[in-house]
Amino acid sequence: MTIAQPASSFDADDTAPLLRATDVSRFYGDRVGCAGVTFDLWPGEVLGVVGESGSGKSTLLRCLAGLDPPTGGRIVFEVPAGPVDIYSLSEQDRRRLMRTAWGIVHQNPRDGLRMDITAGGNVGERLMDRGDRHYGRIRAAASDWLGRVEIDPARIDDRPRDFSGGMQQRLQIARVLVSEPRLVFMDEPTGGLDVSVQAKLLDLLRVLVRDLGLAAVIVTHDLAVARLLTDRLMVMKDGAVIESGLTDQVLDDPQAAYTQLLTSAVLTV
Amino acid sequence: MSTMTTMINVDGISKAFTLHNQGGVRLPVFTDVSFKVEAGEALVLAGPSGIGKSSLLRLLYGNYRPTAGRIEINHSGRLLDIVSATPRRVLEVRRRTLGFVSQFLRVIPRVSTIDIVRDPLLARGVDGATATKRASDILARLNLPERLWQLAPATFSGGEQQRVNIARSFVEPAPILLIDEPTASLDTANRDVVVELIAEARKQGSTIVGIFHDDAVRARVATRHLAMSDFKSS
Ligand SMILES: Nc1ncnc2c1ncn2[C@@H]1O[C@H](COP(=O)(O)OP(=O)(O)OP(=O)(O)O)[C@@H](O)[C@H]1O
Ligand SMILES: Nc1ncnc2c1ncn2[C@@H]1O[C@H](COP(=O)(O)OP(=O)(O)OP(=O)(O)O)[C@@H](O)[C@H]1O
Ligand SMILES: [Mg+2]
Ligand SMILES: [Mg+2]
Repeated sequence: MTIAQPASSFDADDTAPLLRATDVSRFYGDRVGCAGVTFDLWPGEVLGVVGESGSGKSTLLRCLAGLDPPTGGRIVFEVPAGPVDIYSLSEQDRRRLMRTAWGIVHQNPRDGLRMDITAGGNVGERLMDRGDRHYGRIRAAASDWLGRVEIDPARIDDRPRDFSGGMQQRLQIARVLVSEPRLVFMDEPTGGLDVSVQAKLLDLLRVLVRDLGLAAVIVTHDLAVARLLTDRLMVMKDGAVIESGLTDQVLDDPQAAYTQLLTSAVLTV
Repeated sequence: MSTMTTMINVDGISKAFTLHNQGGVRLPVFTDVSFKVEAGEALVLAGPSGIGKSSLLRLLYGNYRPTAGRIEINHSGRLLDIVSATPRRVLEVRRRTLGFVSQFLRVIPRVSTIDIVRDPLLARGVDGATATKRASDILARLNLPERLWQLAPATFSGGEQQRVNIARSFVEPAPILLIDEPTASLDTANRDVVVELIAEARKQGSTIVGIFHDDAVRARVATRHLAMSDFKSS
């Protein structure tokens, strides 16, 4: 057993967060999408967002991921040059950041894949975005990633429309992770898949997140998914975060009435 | 004799549950609990069912939140209050200092037994081959048939699952081990192995806080008892 630890482990909180959300709100006319959301996310952390339908999870995720500007608040991302407010960037610079440093896994794989190009093309395209031009190397990397998400590399030239829903979702994950993003956003990544396919995908995500040291924000309505994949949890209701903390704390010793209702509605998580 | 090192300092903690969806009823469990655990001790929490033993253990792990009080954990030589620590800091303390051995195994359905046991080693940077070797050794000691090692434990018997859980927790014992009824569904032979594993962990420097329903096990493990009835909330 090792008792000795690096002194730096004490200074864990002194490293800069990768993502800082401060008082993020988005309104649709009079309707609240999300309101007053504040949190920090550090490298390697997986943050879950749970809450009932309409509570603002997707709205928040889309703001964080650079897809929709918030009505109020700031989203600051740490790049090598220092922290940047992502919505102060030009559209073009923000898109570049999203392609290179971030990944977005959509609930519906059709939103994240190009259905008209091959599986290999879907994965390889992200490397070309990054400036890679060596065909042999791109194809080898694509083939490697298909294997990692358990798609037979022999299917590299097939189009995603010939794949099952679970395979499409795995292909989407390969497309997102091949460019080695530092931060990944996922909206219900296992929604719409049957339970055994979900289990497989969850295991895959867990291993990839650990091996690549990714930070991630994962929206899910499934508390079992949150338990398995996330370190921290935010519970949303009516657009606001009503409780947050370590995932096991929030699920095992929920403080808010609403969280107690959520956790008691499921048999075992 | 060198001076004692405090590993856990519990200072005036109380715990009550408020059940908001059951008329807001308040369930007080205990009030104003204070005690210390020094390095090398094996403190056993004692008292009747429902007195709050598991709740206290979960508080020490940062899993439950106290209603009042502080819980300092010796993390790499410094006392750190786990109650007020950020989630990120609590995770760091768990990764390096605190291990929790629960009665039940909770894992992703598809992961094989050997990988479940290897996982804490890999997370601490041990290389793959060494991790496999050490995981195999401890599974063998716990008499888990080798034909089960490549299978996911979802279909295992209660006792088999419990042994996987113990293997996972003791393959690289944490400096502070919190143990809740680890031998509940084990036969005598395997119970003995668990007692040995606890003794070995202590020899390697682990401090233990545990709950053991079995009198014989308790007698062999404990260096001191904490009577929970002394803290009963009225
Ligand atoms: N484009 C939009 N225009 C108007 N209102 C919207 C729009 N998108 C979302 N809303 C509203 O904002 C609120 C939050 O919606 P959001 O999609 O973020 O919820 P959610 O938590 O992701 O729900 P679900 O679990 O059902 O996906 C809802 O009241 C929704 O009707
Ligand atoms: N998450 C929770 N929410 C509400 N009440 C809880 C929770 N956890 C424990 N309790 C209550 O706290 C009290 C103490 O329970 P605890 O499990 O700590 O007892 P114990 O001493 O470990 O008992 P046993 O020996 O039966 O395991 C019980 O009344 C229990 O119902
Ligand atoms: Mg949504
Ligand atoms: Mg108990």
